[in-house]
Amino acid sequence: MPDFLTRHIKDPGQRKLATAVQKGAYEGLRRALTMSRQEVVAEIDASGLRGRGGAGFPTGRKWSFIHAREGQSVYLLCNADESEPGTFKDHYLMAFDPHLVLEGVAIGAYAIGAHQAYIYLRGEYASVAATLGEALSEATDAGILGPNCLGSDFDLRIALQLGAGAYICGEETGLIQSLEGKRAYPRVRPPFPAVHGFLREPTVVNNVETLASAARIMAEGAEAYTKLGTKQSAGTKLISVSGAVERPGIYEVEMGYPLMEFLAHEAGGIPLGRRLKGIIPGGTSVPILTADEAAPLTIDYESMQSAGTMLGSGGMIVFDEDTRMPHALLRIAEFYAHESCGECTPCREGTGWMAWVLRRLLAGEGRPGDLELLLRVGDNIEGRTICGLGDASVQPVRSFIQKFRPEFEALEPAGMDWPAWQIHGHGPRTGRFGPPVEEAARSQPVEGSPDYVL
Amino acid sequence: MLTGEGLREIETTRAQEDSSRHALLTALRVVQRERRKVGPEEIVYIAGLLGLSPAIVEGVARFYDQITDTPTGLHVVRVCRGITCYLRQSERIADDLKGFLGIKDGDTSPDGKFSVRLVECIGDCDHAPAGMVDDRFVGPLDEQALHTIREI
Ligand SMILES: Cc1cc2nc3c(=O)[nH]c(=O)nc-3n(C[C@H](O)[C@H](O)[C@H](O)COP(=O)(O)O)c2cc1C
Ligand code: SF4
Ligand code: FES
Repeated sequence: MPDFLTRHIKDPGQRKLATAVQKGAYEGLRRALTMSRQEVVAEIDASGLRGRGGAGFPTGRKWSFIHAREGQSVYLLCNADESEPGTFKDHYLMAFDPHLVLEGVAIGAYAIGAHQAYIYLRGEYASVAATLGEALSEATDAGILGPNCLGSDFDLRIALQLGAGAYICGEETGLIQSLEGKRAYPRVRPPFPAVHGFLREPTVVNNVETLASAARIMAEGAEAYTKLGTKQSAGTKLISVSGAVERPGIYEVEMGYPLMEFLAHEAGGIPLGRRLKGIIPGGTSVPILTADEAAPLTIDYESMQSAGTMLGSGGMIVFDEDTRMPHALLRIAEFYAHESCGECTPCREGTGWMAWVLRRLLAGEGRPGDLELLLRVGDNIEGRTICGLGDASVQPVRSFIQKFRPEFEALEPAGMDWPAWQIHGHGPRTGRFGPPVEEAARSQPVEGSPDYVL
Repeated sequence: MLTGEGLREIETTRAQEDSSRHALLTALRVVQRERRKVGPEEIVYIAGLLGLSPAIVEGVARFYDQITDTPTGLHVVRVCRGITCYLRQSERIADDLKGFLGIKDGDTSPDGKFSVRLVECIGDCDHAPAGMVDDRFVGPLDEQALHTIREI
C-alpha cells in the first residue's frame, strides 16, 4: 500500500513538533515559501489533486479563482466538520498527524494570499481540536506558523472553531455562516465563496485531507503525485471502511486500486463467510452499488462515475447478505430528514416525507403506490434546492429502491398497481405532499400553472 | 454565571475577531458546558455579554443539537445511531444503557449524573457501535464499556 499521506501517521510522538520535524514536517511549507503564490497554485494544479471533501473539484483551479482587490482580506477555511455518515478519515489525520494538517492549511493560505485561516471542526471533535491546538501553539512558538512563518515575510494566523452539532455545517456556505455566528443556512450561489465568502470576502473552503495532500505534494513535488493513481484521479485517497468487514478502519489506497481487492485484503473480507450485498462507496450521500456492480470497479473518480455513483468522501459502508435494505434505508432517510436545515421547501418537506413514507411501509401501513411516491418526492427535491443536501438525500432512496426493489415491493400492499397520481389525485410533479396538506394536495392544479410547483 | 475560565475563553475568541457575533458559537458552547443548558436565562446573559439581541441568540442556539434548552446530566453519553452503528444494534444498546444507569423517563438519570442521547454518525464508525462520554470516544459499546461509563 502507498503511504504518500500516512507515512508517519503511526509513528509514536508524531504529534510532537520535534519528532514531526525530524520526519520532514513543514518541508513542503518551506519550499512553498521560496516560490511565488502563483507557482504554488500551478504546482498543485499540475499535481492533479482534487478535493477530498466529496465533490472532487480540482484544488489548484479552486485556488486560482481567488482575485482579491485592494483592501480585501482573503480567508482559507479548513473543513473539518466531517459528518457524512461512514466517514472518519479526517478524524484520524488530525488526531495522529496534526502538523501535516497545519502545514497544509499554511500552504493553502499562502497560495491564495490569506493571512487568516480557520479550521472548523464538528463539535464532537473537541478532543481532536485539543490535539490540533497543542500542535498549533508548538509550531507558532517555534516560529513556523504565526507572524513571519519560517522566517519569511508571510504572516499567518490559524484559529480553531468547534461546531455545535449540525451536519449542514459541513456544506461550504453553511460552514461560512456558522463561522460567522449564525444559523448554518447555506447561501444561494452565485456569488460563490471565492468572490463573496466569509465576512463577504474572497474565501476558499477545503477539506482536511485535501490540504494535507497539498502539504505532501509541496514536499515531494507534483510529479511524485501524478506518478500515483490514474489519469483523472492522481495520487492516493484515504478510505474509511466500516460495516460488514473484518477490519474496519482507515486505509490509504492508490487511486485505481480494485475495489474487490481492497475489500478482501485491506478490509479483511466479510465476517462469518457471508456474502456481499451492497457497498456505499463514499458516504451515504452517494448511490449504493450492488455486489455485481461493485465487482469490476476500481477506487477512483472515473470508475465510480461509470457505475453511476461517486467516490465522495471515501466513507465506504459495506452491507452483507443479512442486511434488511428497507430498514437500512429508513435509517439513512431519517438522517437527512433530521439534518435538513429547513431553509428551502423541497428539502425540508421532501426529506421528512421520504422518511415518513418509509416508516409507514415498514410499520405495515404502506399504501399502494408508496414506492412510486417515494421516487417522485425524490424527483421533486433533486435540482431544486439551495445546497447539495437535498440532492444527497435522494441518492440513497432512489438507488436502494431501484437496486433492491423486491424487498421494498414486499412491503407495499398488493392488488392495486395504478399509477400513483391516480391514487393520490394529482398528476406527476404537480402536487405538494405531506400529512398536514394532503387534503389541499387533492385540489385541482390551477389552469396554466407550470408543470411543477415545488 | 460563568467561571473565570469560561469567560476568558469567550473573551479570547471575541478579541480575535472584528465582530462579537463571531464569538456567539463559542459562547453557546461554553455556557452549555458550564450550565448544562442554554435556557431563557442563559440566552439573556449571552446577549448582554456580546451585545446582541436575545432573539438572535435564541435563534442560533435552537439550530444546534448540542445546545439544549433543558439541563443535561453531569455527563452526556452519546450513542451513535448512524447507519453503521444502527446495523450493530446501537438503538437497543442505548436502551440497555439507560436501564443500566437507572434512566426511566426522558434521557437523564434521576440523580442528574447521566444523560443518554441517540445521535447521528459521530465519525468513529470503525468502533461501531460507537459512543462518547462527554468529549471522549468510548466505542465499541460492549459490556466492558458500559461498566466503564457507569464508574465515571
Ligand atoms: C450537505 C453537505 C455536507 C458536507 N459536509 C462536508 C464535510 O463534512 N466535510 C467536507 O470536507 N466537505 C463537506 N461537504 C463538501 C463541502 O461543501 C465542500 O465542497 C468541500 O469542503 C470543499 O473542499 P474540497 O474541495 O477540498 O473537497 C459537504 C457538502 C454538502 C452538500
Ligand atoms: S437543500 Fe436542505 S439543507 Fe440545503 S439549504 Fe435547502 S433545506 Fe437546507
Ligand atoms: S455510524 Fe456510528 S460512528 Fe459513524
